[in-house]
Amino acid sequence: MKVARITALAFLVVVSAACLFADFVAPAPYARQFRDVPDAAPSHQHLLGTDSLGRDRFSRVLYGTRVSLLLAPAAALLASILAALIGGTAGFVGGWLERCVMAATDLFLSLPWLFLLITVRALLPLNTAPFTSVLITFALLGCLGWAAAARVICADARTFCQSDFILRARASGSGGFRLLWRHIVPNLKPVLYAQFWIAVPVFILAEANLGALGLGVAEPLPSWGSLLRELESFSPLSSQPWQFVPLVLLIAVVSCFHLAMKKQELSV
Amino acid sequence: MPELLMNAQPVLSLRLSASYPGRPAVLRDLALDVRPREILGLVGQSGCGKSTMALAILKLLFLKGGKMSGSIQFNGRDLLPLKEKEMRGLRGKEIALVSQSPISSLNPALRIRTQMEEAWNIHRRTTREECTRAVLGALESVSLPADETFLRQYPAQLSVGQAQRVLIAMAVLHRPPLLIADEPTSALDIIIQSEVLELFSSLSRKLGMSILYISHDLLSVAKISHRVAVMSQGEIVECRKTAELFTNPLHAYTRKLIAALPVAPAFSSGETLVYPEHATMIAGAELKTPNLTM
Amino acid sequence: MRQRLVRLGVLLLFVAVTGAAFAQSGSQLRFCLHSEPKTLNPVLMADESSETVRYLTGGVLMRLNRLTQQLEPELATSWKVSEEGKTISFKLRAGVHFSDGTAFSADDVAYTMQQLMDPALHSPTGDSFRSAEGKVITKVEAKDRVTVIFPAPVVGLDKLFDQVAIMSASSPKKEMAVLGPYYVAENKAGSYLLLKRNPNYWKHDAAGVQLPYINSVRLDIQQNRDVEMLRLVRGEIDFINAVDPEYFDKLAAQAPGTVTEAGVSLDSEQMWFNQVASSPLPAYKKAWFTSTNFRRAISNSINREDLARVVFRGHAQPAVSWVSPANKVWFNAKLQPHAFDQKAALQMLANDGFRLQNGVLRDREGHAVEFSIITNAGNKYRERMATMIQQDLAGIGIRLNVVTLDFPSLIERITRTFDYEASLLGLVNNDLDPNSQMNVWLSSAEQHQWNPEQKTPATTWEAEIDKLMRAQASTLDQKKRKQAVDRVQEIVWQQEPFIYLVNKNAMSAVSKNLRNAHPVVLRPQVYWNIDQLSLGSEVAQNR
Ligand SMILES: Nc1ncnc2c1ncn2[C@@H]1O[C@H](COP(=O)(O)OP(=O)(O)O)[C@@H](O)[C@H]1O
Ligand SMILES: [Mg+2]
Repeated sequence: MKVARITALAFLVVVSAACLFADFVAPAPYARQFRDVPDAAPSHQHLLGTDSLGRDRFSRVLYGTRVSLLLAPAAALLASILAALIGGTAGFVGGWLERCVMAATDLFLSLPWLFLLITVRALLPLNTAPFTSVLITFALLGCLGWAAAARVICADARTFCQSDFILRARASGSGGFRLLWRHIVPNLKPVLYAQFWIAVPVFILAEANLGALGLGVAEPLPSWGSLLRELESFSPLSSQPWQFVPLVLLIAVVSCFHLAMKKQELSV
Repeated sequence: MPELLMNAQPVLSLRLSASYPGRPAVLRDLALDVRPREILGLVGQSGCGKSTMALAILKLLFLKGGKMSGSIQFNGRDLLPLKEKEMRGLRGKEIALVSQSPISSLNPALRIRTQMEEAWNIHRRTTREECTRAVLGALESVSLPADETFLRQYPAQLSVGQAQRVLIAMAVLHRPPLLIADEPTSALDIIIQSEVLELFSSLSRKLGMSILYISHDLLSVAKISHRVAVMSQGEIVECRKTAELFTNPLHAYTRKLIAALPVAPAFSSGETLVYPEHATMIAGAELKTPNLTM
Repeated sequence: MRQRLVRLGVLLLFVAVTGAAFAQSGSQLRFCLHSEPKTLNPVLMADESSETVRYLTGGVLMRLNRLTQQLEPELATSWKVSEEGKTISFKLRAGVHFSDGTAFSADDVAYTMQQLMDPALHSPTGDSFRSAEGKVITKVEAKDRVTVIFPAPVVGLDKLFDQVAIMSASSPKKEMAVLGPYYVAENKAGSYLLLKRNPNYWKHDAAGVQLPYINSVRLDIQQNRDVEMLRLVRGEIDFINAVDPEYFDKLAAQAPGTVTEAGVSLDSEQMWFNQVASSPLPAYKKAWFTSTNFRRAISNSINREDLARVVFRGHAQPAVSWVSPANKVWFNAKLQPHAFDQKAALQMLANDGFRLQNGVLRDREGHAVEFSIITNAGNKYRERMATMIQQDLAGIGIRLNVVTLDFPSLIERITRTFDYEASLLGLVNNDLDPNSQMNVWLSSAEQHQWNPEQKTPATTWEAEIDKLMRAQASTLDQKKRKQAVDRVQEIVWQQEPFIYLVNKNAMSAVSKNLRNAHPVVLRPQVYWNIDQLSLGSEVAQNR
């Protein structure tokens, strides 16, 4: 168990360092098109081959990881905090507030997001720098991704509110936001962690899908999403297994995060 | 001094009615006085409204959807018109509650230290050191190990007895004038039960606080209480000194309760007694173990 | 005696043919439609699947040979266009029968024309004949002679009849009675169509064998292109009409010998700048985009060879102007694609006061040159082209932002709000005659994308295009028309309101079993000579 944790941590450290120092580690700028060798197989110049425009895939994976590894958890954190506050408050206060919030959440979940996001894109100025565009995308995901988690958290908060220890906390003078924050939220942590870890890969994939709709990471900036979109045209007929590296990396990073977390933090 | 106490103004003086929606009233103009420094036992069968009363005193009945009316005179002040915010300042500091199920009454997500510090910090703005000192002091007063390893534990790592002591320690943290113990021993096994009972009477002595000791078990009540109130159908049918109650029960319900006891009660041991009449009774009891019959 | 011998020979031949027909009873051609045909009525057809069925079943007066791009007689043995394109007279083939046995005559042509031009039916095919208000008169002069008179001249009138499948005026089976090589025998909605050979088809091969060779055609409805490709590899279908570059390469690796490249097609990919005067763009950007120097500099900075080679994997050619080199008759062969020459581009920009400072191009007033290009999301070829152009323009200090939009918002921007700077789209072209692009080139036209629906032409060159396009539309003199169209191509090449990037190649995949297939660039690429196609087996039997 301990070995696994250390290995996972080491892996994360290596990945993070490689991404942070991508400017030094990457063999080529991520946007540089080696137009003579598009779709190349791995070689010592291009460790993971090149993409359809001849860009060095290894460099793109490094920069893409930097973008996604930074922004997807940030967005997931934002969504989790919103979910905790909204769902927690609703479950805690109960009554009409809970009903209103849950109705709002249902409405929120049933909204045609695609349509809304497209509208958002239509409102954005066309000349948005690629990085701003990524930032906006993830901020949007964070702001919109709380609803499903809020439902779960609301239900949980409500059961906690009726529990003995909350009664005891009230009997010792606690109440209001303080009770919510000091006594209920710590109990919601496992759910929040779970929601957070669900949200991270979901947001990464959502960003990839939004890219297909024209919202999201703009060329030439890479992200895990845009790297995963390469797999859209993957076919076993012309197998290029190294195209799977971003996917493998995504899975590895997410599971390493799980392993590296202290057990208590996840389960208590 | 005992006389003085007997005649002193009661810490708590209740006249309460309470009900849950769609049901007949649970408390019906229930009247009860708790005097300074006394341990008042409250007995009554399960479901007769004891916990309802405990919550009503803290004005927390709304959490269970209940409604109440009447008056709660606490140290000469009626609590009923107080706002929730003022009540919060009172709960835990002036009136503390120890409840029935020790394990589930502790927050499973928090270490013992965090919970106790939180209970302290709600009412006091102090330095960390003072806070730690108060927490350690409270732990010592309930005979728990006052050390770091204990404080770092989570409730799930404690035994039931330890958990109950932690709850008691938290309740006495602010040295409240009144402690309500709602069936504090019902989840404990016999040996720990008597230890905890012992703890209550010694705390009451040491801290000079009044305890409203609620239980369905007449025997344990008899062990530590100076007076016993018998509750039936939402009313106090009889409230007298412990020995008197046993030797000369007036109400039919009380007699029924006593008759149902498997063994004769052992009254609380000598020096803890505050009232002289009581003391003689105890001495006698220890000698003869009176076989009380109707 | 000799006559007898000939008769005997004919009889023997007949026996041989029927024998062959028996032998080929199992032969079936299979390919995929990508959607269900919306209708089987030939005058109402507009979608690709319906047109496939019409091509396979409909008998037409004349057919545009997809290989030579010339008209050839079919049910009409000859025809004559007169009155500057107002009138066309046909002489019809004798002894032809519909699939149900009804005889074909001039009345059927009259009936078809009546149906085609019936305002109540809104025939999309009929629309191309409507040049002006007024009735179309069809005069049946004899059983085999018919004249159609239009209220006004129709440009390229004769070629339009390639789309007109003749329907029977008298057959009880209505539109199901056909004159083409096949008739619809079975139509399983959403699943497949089965066509059987028309026993009364009039055409015979040189040896006198009745066509078509193949007994039946099964059209499977299959939306998924991957599945279609797999089925071809497994031999379950016989060809794919049009494959895109990526599939082409995959197939070339998986089933070598099946893919063929017919050469450059009529389809083009182009970008353009928003030149609408009322657009919400800042004045300095409007000034850039309306400058010929600016547009030509951008054009010269784009490496078209690379676009064709990298994005389309070599299956495209640098484009020249608005007529593709695939259009043998109308392409202006004097023009060459714009060369990739960033030095020349910077020179042209300098003429307009632009200068390169620390790697950033700035205009006279000091604005850094940055603009966005919008294209439709989900089209990876366009996204890749835009990304390559981004890289190319960075070479002359221009920052290009690539924005992919869903199609409706894209259309909204380029047709209504005009809130865009540049756009990258393609044009799918089916028609060889430049007249079909009048709606693009007239400055008053809706599809005059860079600055549509102008009251009066905004520039002198647009005025000249208007004049030339109208001139070519009002004459039947092929030479004059060609001259005008050549000049328009030249103007567009010089002014670059559309910066043409590439013309895609037409590519098909054909199973080795299919004989006589000569895929071409015009639709339908593979089965244009359907009655000549054969599957290995029955050719062997016939020989
Ligand atoms: N939340 C509630 N809603 C409705 N009725 C309740 C509720 N809680 C308790 N009661 C009822 O009130 C009565 C008194 O309950 P309680 O005070 O818990 O009794 P005790 O503590 O003496 O066992 C019981 O009959 C019980 O059924
Ligand atoms: Mg109870």
